[in-house]
Amino acid sequence: MTASLNAPAPEPVKAVSRVELAFTRLKKIPSAYIAFWVVCLICLLAILSAFGVPLSPYSFDQATDDLLVAPSLKHIMGTDELGRDLFARVIYGSRLSIAIGFVTAGVAFILGTTYGAISGYCGGKVDTLLMRGVDIAYSLPDLLVMILVGVLVGKGTFGILFALGLVSWMGTARLVRAQLLQLKEEEFVEAARAAGQDGFSIVMKHLLPNAMGPIIVALTFTVPSAILSESTLSFIGLGLSAPECSWGTLASDGWRSLRSYPHLLGFPSLFIFLTVLSFNCLGDGLRDVLDPRTRLFKG
Amino acid sequence: MLALLIKRMLTAIPVLLVVATLTFFLMRLVPGGPFDADKNLPPAIVANLNAKYQLDKPVAQQYVTYLSRVVRGDLGISYKYLNRTVRDILGEAMPVSIQLGFTALVLAVLIGVPLGTIAAVNRGSWIDVTAMFLSTAGISVPGFVIGAFLIFIFGVWLKVLPVALWETPWHMVLPSLTLAFSPAAYLARLTRASVLEVLEKDWVRTARSKGLSRWATVMKHTLRNALVPVVTVLGPLTAILITGSFVVEYLYAIPGMGRFFVTAVTNRDYDLIMGTTLVFAALLIVTNAIVDVAYQILDPRMKVEG
Repeated sequence: MTASLNAPAPEPVKAVSRVELAFTRLKKIPSAYIAFWVVCLICLLAILSAFGVPLSPYSFDQATDDLLVAPSLKHIMGTDELGRDLFARVIYGSRLSIAIGFVTAGVAFILGTTYGAISGYCGGKVDTLLMRGVDIAYSLPDLLVMILVGVLVGKGTFGILFALGLVSWMGTARLVRAQLLQLKEEEFVEAARAAGQDGFSIVMKHLLPNAMGPIIVALTFTVPSAILSESTLSFIGLGLSAPECSWGTLASDGWRSLRSYPHLLGFPSLFIFLTVLSFNCLGDGLRDVLDPRTRLFKG
Repeated sequence: MLALLIKRMLTAIPVLLVVATLTFFLMRLVPGGPFDADKNLPPAIVANLNAKYQLDKPVAQQYVTYLSRVVRGDLGISYKYLNRTVRDILGEAMPVSIQLGFTALVLAVLIGVPLGTIAAVNRGSWIDVTAMFLSTAGISVPGFVIGAFLIFIFGVWLKVLPVALWETPWHMVLPSLTLAFSPAAYLARLTRASVLEVLEKDWVRTARSKGLSRWATVMKHTLRNALVPVVTVLGPLTAILITGSFVVEYLYAIPGMGRFFVTAVTNRDYDLIMGTTLVFAALLIVTNAIVDVAYQILDPRMKVEG
């Protein structure tokens, strides 16, 4: 594991794409490689749940008297106070939680990259002004902004996405800006400019592709933090609420009956934890693989 | 150093102004007012209430009135807590939140920094792997899960610690632990990375070759330098701890600022929202200034520009 970066490429003749290379390196970090597959599995579950789950998360059969039962063979995670199968609800809830994570990362990517690219490429006064803006946005605590914005825009999915997007682009913007400031002094940029390319295509074709590694790493950490923020907001009653179903709302419902029915809080929490942990491990691994600035593998 | 502090305090004024302006207009932009939730008030009474609190005036005028009041130290009154000024409420809630946040900060540093240092010194061993797994897991658990877990074990099962309110020192144990958990994990990761980097430096090798033991090298020649990034995050971390207390205050029913802020936002209790936000922002600025000073003490080469 310590020699992975210094190991000679196994097939020097064959051209390897950057993605392939990154994947080969990722395989050598066990925690990140396992995390990668866990993330894939959870995302797959979330996507498949859109086509229906075996036991409906909404249907409940009053005749069976399966209300609030503890985990058993029939209901592997037990049932809630209406007799709904908790496993079905957790799988169903993954859709919203995972979607919120990815959409937030998408917003952070688009907003942050655009903002950072303008700031870094233009430099000078534009840069100073734009970065002062980021400083001010950064100086406000995330949760404060999210509560304020989320509640004021409206509870629901849109409100929470708006709030999460608003607090998560600054990191990406700073990162992209720093990368571009450094990259734009390189010779290939000068060559591109001499060849007559305009600023826009230099940024799109030459600068951003070279900055992609660190950006991907940053986005990998945005997903879990968005999932955590959503569940936290929903938990204190300021995020999503019934009939919407995410891991946060499930945990929030479970909290009220913690003493008698701990499984109602336990299982949604376990899924939040596993997902966030996997994304964090994957992010750590990707950073070692993609980000040349961090060198954890000193020979 | 005094110049730095003065400069910091001067830059705080525009930041506070921006924060106040943004919050004020954001609050007013959205539908709903402080008296909506009351039971079917006749329109005439709502109009009278709005007139009493000057909410019927144009927003720009209200903004100017508000600012001129704040400058004179009058934070206004709560629309929801009868006959209580915002200053009273914050005066009671702020010490609670600061106490909670500070205890958690101390706990987080006392747990995180040693854990990260031990992991770095024993790099690659099972100690390192365990410590890093624990801390990655630590930053992956939502605060409310930790809280619920602790409440379940110590409050419900063992029945040894109180799980709600804020009265005796015993009431502080579970909330501070809950709040300190993920910052401690974060600090451990950061300290480890930072110590590893410093351990590669020439002077560390010199110290080792002089015959100093491994731990003596770490304590005398490494930690001081390695702690600079740690101190840097203490500012933002304090922010996380004070705002993180929203969840903890909710879980443990603690009458701190977070709780008042959450209810104020839901109630559209305008002056209370403004007051809490401004106090939060001011606290942040103060902690960041303290961090800058600490910076210079740790590393005199560092020239901080205001």
